[in-house]
Amino acid sequence: MKKNLSVLLSLVVLASVLLAACGGAATEAPAATDAPAATEAPVATEVAATEAPIPDVSIATFDGTSLSVPAEECNGDYIGAVQSVVATDANTVTFTLCRPDPAFLSKIAFSPFSIYPSEWLESASTTDLLEKPIGTGAYVVSEWNRGESITFTANPTHWGDAPEAETIVFRWSSESAARLLELQSGTIDGMDNVGPEDFDTVRGDSNLSLVERPALNVFYVGMTNTFAPFDNQGVRQAIAMGIDRQRIVDNFYPAGSEVASHFTPCAIPNGCVGDAWYEFDATAAKAKLAEAGFPDGFKTKLYYRDVVRGYLPNVSTVAQDIQAQLKENLNIDAEIVVMESGAFIDASGTGSLDGLYLLGWGADYPHITNFLDYHFGAANPQFGNQSDTYTDLLVQGAQIGIPADAESIYVEANNAIREFVPMIPVAHGGSATAYRADVTNQQASPLTNEYFAVSDPGGRDVFVWMQNAEPISMFCADESDGESLRACEQVTEALYSYVVNGTDTVPALAESCTPNDDLTVWTCALRQGVTFSDGSAFDAADVVATFNMGLNIASPTHKGNTGTFFYYDYLWGLMKKPGG
Amino acid sequence: MTTETTDTIAKLDTEGLTLRSVNLWQITWRRLFRRRSAMVGLVILGTLIFIALAAPMLAPYDPTISMLDADPPQKIKARSAPCIHLLGCPEDQPQHIAGVDGNLRDQYSRLIYGSRLSLMVGFSTVTFAIIIGTVLGAMAGYFGGWLDNVIMRVMDVLLAFPSLLLAIAIVTVLGPGLINALLAIGIVSIPAYARVMRASVLTVREMDFVSATRSLGGNTYDILFKCILPNALTPLIVQGTLGIASAILDAAALSFIGLGAQPPTPEWGSMLGAERNQVFTAPHLVFYPGFAIMLTVLAFNLVGDGLRDALDPRLVHASS
Repeated sequence: MKKNLSVLLSLVVLASVLLAACGGAATEAPAATDAPAATEAPVATEVAATEAPIPDVSIATFDGTSLSVPAEECNGDYIGAVQSVVATDANTVTFTLCRPDPAFLSKIAFSPFSIYPSEWLESASTTDLLEKPIGTGAYVVSEWNRGESITFTANPTHWGDAPEAETIVFRWSSESAARLLELQSGTIDGMDNVGPEDFDTVRGDSNLSLVERPALNVFYVGMTNTFAPFDNQGVRQAIAMGIDRQRIVDNFYPAGSEVASHFTPCAIPNGCVGDAWYEFDATAAKAKLAEAGFPDGFKTKLYYRDVVRGYLPNVSTVAQDIQAQLKENLNIDAEIVVMESGAFIDASGTGSLDGLYLLGWGADYPHITNFLDYHFGAANPQFGNQSDTYTDLLVQGAQIGIPADAESIYVEANNAIREFVPMIPVAHGGSATAYRADVTNQQASPLTNEYFAVSDPGGRDVFVWMQNAEPISMFCADESDGESLRACEQVTEALYSYVVNGTDTVPALAESCTPNDDLTVWTCALRQGVTFSDGSAFDAADVVATFNMGLNIASPTHKGNTGTFFYYDYLWGLMKKPGG
Repeated sequence: MTTETTDTIAKLDTEGLTLRSVNLWQITWRRLFRRRSAMVGLVILGTLIFIALAAPMLAPYDPTISMLDADPPQKIKARSAPCIHLLGCPEDQPQHIAGVDGNLRDQYSRLIYGSRLSLMVGFSTVTFAIIIGTVLGAMAGYFGGWLDNVIMRVMDVLLAFPSLLLAIAIVTVLGPGLINALLAIGIVSIPAYARVMRASVLTVREMDFVSATRSLGGNTYDILFKCILPNALTPLIVQGTLGIASAILDAAALSFIGLGAQPPTPEWGSMLGAERNQVFTAPHLVFYPGFAIMLTVLAFNLVGDGLRDALDPRLVHASS
């Protein structure tokens, strides 16, 4: 018996040695510790320790009715677009821009630029600011049970038509199956992002109805060309040819989706002018990769975040298919690395990911600059070094108001992007909302900003909407998350708004905004007789105070959830210049 | 009634007489075979081991290959329901007896290969935990004093955390991946074995044969691993068998939340997690991996219970 035990013990020890050996090897693999963001972090802190970063300095002047930067700064270090916002009189506001902006109305209608009362901006506590915004919209926030729901009740002082439902409730669940179950059981009236596999279920249920959302987005496979082997244009082109994008759309996307012929959806003027993207050709792709010096492929990583978005409804499945295609068509071994959403956005946005990554973009406003300028502008480090061939063209194109006049520029720009392959556009993903059949004015907005004041929940008092996630805060001037922006849409209003369920702009708090000839000065005549939900009157000073809050980094009101004021910075540029 | 009792005693006597001439393992096997539940567990386990060993022969497809890349490529929809020709599925459709998953991979092949991984997870984590736990428990029990205090307090701290939560924390630090998940589960399992070993050592170390070995000049290694360990092995085997079941469950749970096996590895927990939203639209993708996990865990639990009964002399008469 002792002999048996000795043998058993030896086997156990042997197994432990093997396991230890495996364990040692495996600890080298983990994503989080291996991520370039983590390995590069010490460099950043080292720099910080020896040389403190010089903060940007404000160049804004604000006196209550005028917010401006010196006119000469427009030709200096200031990269922002707004030179001044001036209350010409109580009902007129004039925006003077550093350069022509044909997309001004589309931008100004975006919900982060909603107008708040000036007194409230100065006096609101942080909690009130983030959870109980004051606006001129159809509803006011009456209760926010964190983690549970937000209840909105009709705003009695609203200047427009009274909302159809007296109360709306926002709830959330990250699982599409859970959302659908709630809809089927009648506990909610509408839901966002029906799972692609559930489209037929909803269509087949006479109590429900499916509303398909136009695909105003793009899903792309990104790569950063400062990391080998993606610094090799041949490698990037080979991957572009080696992924069967049609197969991905056919098998993993819902109806209404389409293969991306260009980065920008065709529904946007000039979006898909120029040559269409590379056709799938595995043989040519392999030859191209061999020509680039990688005949046997290479090893890389495939990063993504496991969150559902309209542009990528089946992220894990698509990632695995791309992994399989890379192996099959190009002999590229891509190890899948799932990252936490925030870390992934940070790392991809700063160009820190050393492999391929899956990301996308949904339209904020329906203009080509929202797609091309953001991603392929000279200042964006996301894909590494941008090519001058298209960055210069994009600057030119952005200043032309009439789309037909800019077409030739965008043909060149799109072709240059195709040639350089900073990323691979894969699909414009269709998505859908679902409602109980008796709900009126059912919406699936291409900008994902459904406005529920116009929807009657079949005569019921409360309209319950279920989306993917809880809003982060209700102070949307300082939010970039779509789930938050949709909630704000019910409460606050901007000078213009988008038509319900569409992308055209219509006057809201402004009755009109008219440009001068070269599109650098926009004069907005404000709607009169409008009051905020706290009873204060709306006037031009509120507009100036709101833009002061968003653009002036020295203003005491320039505070919010993160303090970054992402969309103010991205679409207008904060009124600052580098310090030192 | 009287006759029955007499028969039983006679039988027991006979068994008792026979037992004297055989070793512990033969007795254990015999007792185990008499327990129906343990036999059911053994049969399931045997089948699983066979499936795991013969996976390449049993699986009709590579578990990681999409049917779009199969030779020849198959025109089939993602998450198609099972198609079995014998049960009336049209011959012109490719046969997939457990359907295909969201990536158009044959679910049956993935289930079969998944058994390899689950068994490997169970055995390797428990082996790891037993080795470390045994050494720590033996040292704590044998040497006592401050060493005992330090080791057992660390074990108490480990036990104070819910095991799955601690495993998640460890994997979060090490990074997601199967091997790291195995390490994490192994680490959280150590205290159970250390405790069992320490208790056994405390019982055995004062026995006469240990004192005799010590007085004859036996060194610590000999006493610990040649005298004491064999006598403490019984509870470790029982604990280990039951531990495999929980290790498989923990690994499946980690994979379900994306911290264990990474795609495209066919692991039952990750298969379940990937298709969790399809519980109504493609229930076969959720049912089969779930059933496989349940069956494997049940098998180990039945065998573990049977072993415990078979190895415990106090339960022999009661349960025969």
